[in-house]
Amino acid sequence: MRRKKGFVLREICGQNVILGEGLDAVDFGNLITLNDTASFLFSEAEHQGEFSAQSLAQALCLEYDIDFPTALNDTQEILSSWIKYGIVEK
Amino acid sequence: MRKTNFYEVAGHVFGVEAEDYIFEYADNYSFFLIEEKSSPLFKLEVKSEKFLQCYQEELSQEEEGQKIICGHTNDGKSVYEFILGGIKTGVLVCGENFVENVLYINKGYEKFSLDNALMIIFALASASKSTLLFHSSTIEKDGKGYMFLGKSGTGKSTHSRLWLKNIPQTELLNDDNPAVRIFNGNTVKVFGTPWSGKTPCYKNKSCELRSIVVLKQAPYNKITPLSGIFAYAAVVPGVSGKRWVKTIADSLHETENSLIQLVKVFQLECLPDDEASVLCYNTIK
Repeated sequence: MRRKKGFVLREICGQNVILGEGLDAVDFGNLITLNDTASFLFSEAEHQGEFSAQSLAQALCLEYDIDFPTALNDTQEILSSWIKYGIVEK
Repeated sequence: MRKTNFYEVAGHVFGVEAEDYIFEYADNYSFFLIEEKSSPLFKLEVKSEKFLQCYQEELSQEEEGQKIICGHTNDGKSVYEFILGGIKTGVLVCGENFVENVLYINKGYEKFSLDNALMIIFALASASKSTLLFHSSTIEKDGKGYMFLGKSGTGKSTHSRLWLKNIPQTELLNDDNPAVRIFNGNTVKVFGTPWSGKTPCYKNKSCELRSIVVLKQAPYNKITPLSGIFAYAAVVPGVSGKRWVKTIADSLHETENSLIQLVKVFQLECLPDDEASVLCYNTIK
């Protein structure tokens, strides 16, 4: 999987939010709020470039004190909503 | 003969160099004319000739029969072509950081091209200076500004007219493109500009911005305060910009994020009637 171009993470009144700003995302028209875990995954996905739920979950385990199955479960849940919104493509 | 005029809008100085006759189309700028100044924010050189280079299209935006094509030349300069009812009216070519710019004007469309070009350069060049060029109809009452936002055709101007009719001591500050500027991170002012859509309201005046109201047509009148990301999402579509350029997007975001924490934002679901304006004023004053 990869993150689609044109999406950025911004802080609005203390909340982390994904916005569509690039040429490929100017018509996105949505605003998605993220908790700390999701913000970490969004940045990690960009850092990794080409990634899988497993590779993100591994990074999540290194950052936070959680076991792998829980991390993988959370990551898959977040990724499926990002795929639905067109932020991540397979 | 060519000459250069200097103007000041929302505290930002810019120069326009053109043939004498071009300024005859620029009455709306006369209220903003100032003495010659050194180091203006930007300059625009107007050429009464065709733009003959090729450019690569990035994006085009169309609204009410007006189309703007954004692109760039092979050497990386940004280009904006203005099209009115299918007719090419002019091409703007911007230099680095929008400091030195050239507008190629086609005969018969001098005012349309000049207004579009200056609005674009103003919005982009002032973005890094805590300034936002809005799409809004704006009322002044007792030294306070009230901005009405909304999609094209929602009734921003109509709502302003209702204030003028129903609320005493109100005046129209600008009907289409006011500028908002934050000073020292804590004072927000709204300014009249030389751009006001179809209404000739070119006031060189400013006042403290009190509230922003985002209008939405409805079969009833109801006003709701918005905060945080809801205020942000409501306000941002009303700001002119080129968000696919990261430096501009970063500047706009910073100003918009401060703005919604300094000024009250409301959503008004409304009818185009007297009651809407009275409800709105009594809530947001």
